[in-house]
Amino acid sequence: MSILANKDTRVVIQGGQAGVNAARRMAEFCYLIKRPLNVEAFVYPPDAGKTNEIPYGSGLIAIPVYRTIAEATKSHPGINTSLVYIGADRAMKGGMEALDDPHIKVVSMITEGVPEKDAKLLGTHARKLGKVFNGPSSIGVISAGACRLGVIGGAFDNLVLSKLYREGSFGVITKSGGLSNEIIWICSQFADGVTTAIGIGGDAYPGTDYVSYLEMFEQDPQTKAVVIVGEMGGDLEERAAEWYGAKKRRIKLIAVVSGFCQESLPKGMKFGHAGAKEGMKGEGSARSKSDALKKSGAIVPPTFGALGPAIKETYQELLKSGQVKEVVEPSVLPKLPKSVEEAMRADEVMVAPLIRTTISDDRGDEPCYDGYPASELINKGYEIPHIIGLLWDKRLISKQEAEIIKRILMLSADHGPCVSGAYATILAACAGIGLSQAVAAGLIMIGPRFGGAVTDAGRYFKYAVDNKMTVDDFLAYMKKNVGPVPGIGHRVKSLRNPDKRVKELVSYVKSLNMKTPCLDFALSVEQITAAKKDNLILNVDGTMAAVLVDIGFPVDSLNGFFILARTIGLIGHWVDQKRQDSRLIRLFDYLVNYAAPKRREVPPLK
Amino acid sequence: MAKVLEGPGMGLMKKWGIHVPNYVVVTSVDELTKLGQANEWLKKSKLVAKAHEALGSRFKLGLVKVDLDFKAAEAATKEMIGRSVGSITVSQVIVSEMVPHKEEYYCAVKSTREGGEILVANCGGIEVESNWERVKRLCLDVGQTPSPEELEKLAKNAGFTGALAKKMAEFAGKMFGCFDNEDAQYLEVNPVVLRESDGELVALDAVTLLDGDAKFRHPDWNFSFAAEFGRAYSKQELEVMSVDSKIKGSVKFIEIPGGDTAMLPAGGGASVYYSDAVVARGGKLANYAEYSGDPPDWAVEVLTDKVCSLPGIRNIIVGGAIANFTDVKKTFGGIINGFRKAKSEGKLNGVKIWVRRGGPREKEGLDAMRALKDEGFDINVFDRNTPLTDIVDKALQK
Repeated sequence: MSILANKDTRVVIQGGQAGVNAARRMAEFCYLIKRPLNVEAFVYPPDAGKTNEIPYGSGLIAIPVYRTIAEATKSHPGINTSLVYIGADRAMKGGMEALDDPHIKVVSMITEGVPEKDAKLLGTHARKLGKVFNGPSSIGVISAGACRLGVIGGAFDNLVLSKLYREGSFGVITKSGGLSNEIIWICSQFADGVTTAIGIGGDAYPGTDYVSYLEMFEQDPQTKAVVIVGEMGGDLEERAAEWYGAKKRRIKLIAVVSGFCQESLPKGMKFGHAGAKEGMKGEGSARSKSDALKKSGAIVPPTFGALGPAIKETYQELLKSGQVKEVVEPSVLPKLPKSVEEAMRADEVMVAPLIRTTISDDRGDEPCYDGYPASELINKGYEIPHIIGLLWDKRLISKQEAEIIKRILMLSADHGPCVSGAYATILAACAGIGLSQAVAAGLIMIGPRFGGAVTDAGRYFKYAVDNKMTVDDFLAYMKKNVGPVPGIGHRVKSLRNPDKRVKELVSYVKSLNMKTPCLDFALSVEQITAAKKDNLILNVDGTMAAVLVDIGFPVDSLNGFFILARTIGLIGHWVDQKRQDSRLIRLFDYLVNYAAPKRREVPPLK
Repeated sequence: MAKVLEGPGMGLMKKWGIHVPNYVVVTSVDELTKLGQANEWLKKSKLVAKAHEALGSRFKLGLVKVDLDFKAAEAATKEMIGRSVGSITVSQVIVSEMVPHKEEYYCAVKSTREGGEILVANCGGIEVESNWERVKRLCLDVGQTPSPEELEKLAKNAGFTGALAKKMAEFAGKMFGCFDNEDAQYLEVNPVVLRESDGELVALDAVTLLDGDAKFRHPDWNFSFAAEFGRAYSKQELEVMSVDSKIKGSVKFIEIPGGDTAMLPAGGGASVYYSDAVVARGGKLANYAEYSGDPPDWAVEVLTDKVCSLPGIRNIIVGGAIANFTDVKKTFGGIINGFRKAKSEGKLNGVKIWVRRGGPREKEGLDAMRALKDEGFDINVFDRNTPLTDIVDKALQK
């Protein structure tokens, strides 16, 4: 048996993330004792209509979230208990809502920092309704082998170590959340473990007191003894002593009280919990509480350290008198499945990675590009072309190479509004499309007819150079296998109207005294083609391609230079249109050749 | 619990219709001089000047002066401001009107488990403590408001008669109104006096303890809370309080001068058992501290820094029960950083560290602590199998 929380407890949790965490802990316990999850609903207005996913074993259970307690209990009439995890300023309203619901018999409030007056109103209201209001500041309630409300009991390992998977003979009542686990642990080491452990909360005026629970434990035949962990302040311990001493009780009472240190410390110093404060003339002091408990017949060990042996002695007596029998532990207990991360940390599992990367790593305090920390690159004077070198070609390029790349990017950043990429971006901007979509619309124009010839130009010039082809062989090869030579030819520029960008780039590269076999080949191709037709000149794509192949960039990365450079221009065009608040573009009909059939009569449907 | 100094305490009482003498709180003589020009009563009345600080026995310390004219009040203010008493320096003086009276009474409202209790006596001042049986009580359930009849009965019970019984009943009713509406935990006026000039009952001082947790519904609480013991908070204590107000979970720190055993325990409950164990072993506590509710590691690091900076310490007790959800590895990470910082600053020489803890990620946390031995720390680490306060016994063994 158990008190307050048992196998029939069905729970609604009021609150957000903290409540979800508690539900996870509760699901771990349910899994350990092989029972279905006892949390049936959440009440949290901001998330109403959604579900919270709670891991149970290796699966996930979706628990619905409602706006009000009434909605939750209407859909889940089995709910009889509420756990309150909402903030101190709204806790009373939430607690009252739960208490007023006819389905709910127990409300346990975990919230800390609830005003005293609110706690008193909740406690009074619950007593009037014949219900239990536990808390505030309660760590929860746990009934071994039956039910866990809240995070009391700690991590899964601790649940197992403290033998909470099966009943013992000791009840536990504490004001302190941290010590509740300690006492459960002691009961499981020095005796056969606990029936129910309850945190009543450390506030000055909790909704319930030791006596209400002592009375319940007295009625629970499984509980043979109760351990109370008290502290100075208030009179709950004195009331417990009074109850215990009033008549012969079935249960044994073991109690410790903290706060003796106050006798030798500056007056008025506040310790521990909100309620831990000595009153006038020694009222509520550790000594007066301790004395009252001793007088009532309770076992009161002189120190906290002596508590374990006292529990052990009590257990031995219970064994001797035949009131309890030695427990046989189950041989196999469920193990909580480890998360992949935990299992990997313990070297228990190898996971085949989904993707592989060889260029960057952002797991440290800053990203590393091919192993070099970004900030260090900046501080040592490296620039954007070097980052391109590291990420596109996995190497630290030279100053000279960087300068060439910088010039390429600058020369191809934008070529006016008329080219298809810029035009598409402008069109999208005028249609009200966002920056990234509008720029993407421009970028997808990059292809064989606009900017996208860089890669192919590089590929074929390189092929020719690698195979030591003559220009004639090359042109014959291209004609037979490919078609027009990528990188050659311009729509508006020609020999008579040369492209200054090409001239600029070629003359700069030539001035460097570096070997430029591809560029040289491309220029000799131009001589032949331009002689045939004056606009078959080496264009920007072809020049960029030849130069980039010459400085060693992989052919497949070459279009990237155009995409990167042109993104700068496309962003500019989008911002420009936005700034002007441009109107939607509609094509004028005189710009369209309406070549569709003339208007005619629709024939009857056959 | 949050103590409020006399000035703001009287302010709250005034708000709920209780007569209080005129008063001003000043931080300099210049301020008082300026107020004197604007407030006629300061020039016309006899005055009382008191150090406006959370200090016990102000009378004995000469920090209360009575029967002053304005000039003498200025002189008293000048003398008090800047005076050091123990760890605190007087920074404020409250100057109030002296109220000529013959009779002194007592009235208080106190929080109880059921609700509240109104206490009334027809004696006041120091007489009350020696005549405690003359204090009569009216117990009220939470949510209940006392009726005029009940209050009058209480006053009559306490020995008030005729018109005065009615007046006292009214006064007590207003005190309760203030208590209930202001989320007070304790209100005391001693003495309540009968003002000769108009026959009104006046509150001559105010002891006010408010429920700090209720601050969220009192936007007009524009005053700061004072330390509850007889001194102001130290700089270190205030720093930890400011961290505490910013985080999830909590960190707490109070200094106790002259101690040799420093505390760095986890949990509001366990921390007191650790303190008890130190005292029971004949040790001298250097502080009270506590962290709980899975605070961030940096907050625990700040707390550790303060603990390591305590003068004259020989042992540091890093104790704790088996945590429910406080991550031992993470919070210990903060403590370890704090220890390393302290060591690099030349602290912790000859200081022994004792650790006992359990809870989520206890093994990793305890292993990390153990590893500090290799860095030259004198550290002893124990797990859940060592009973809670045994490390105190080991530490204080001669």
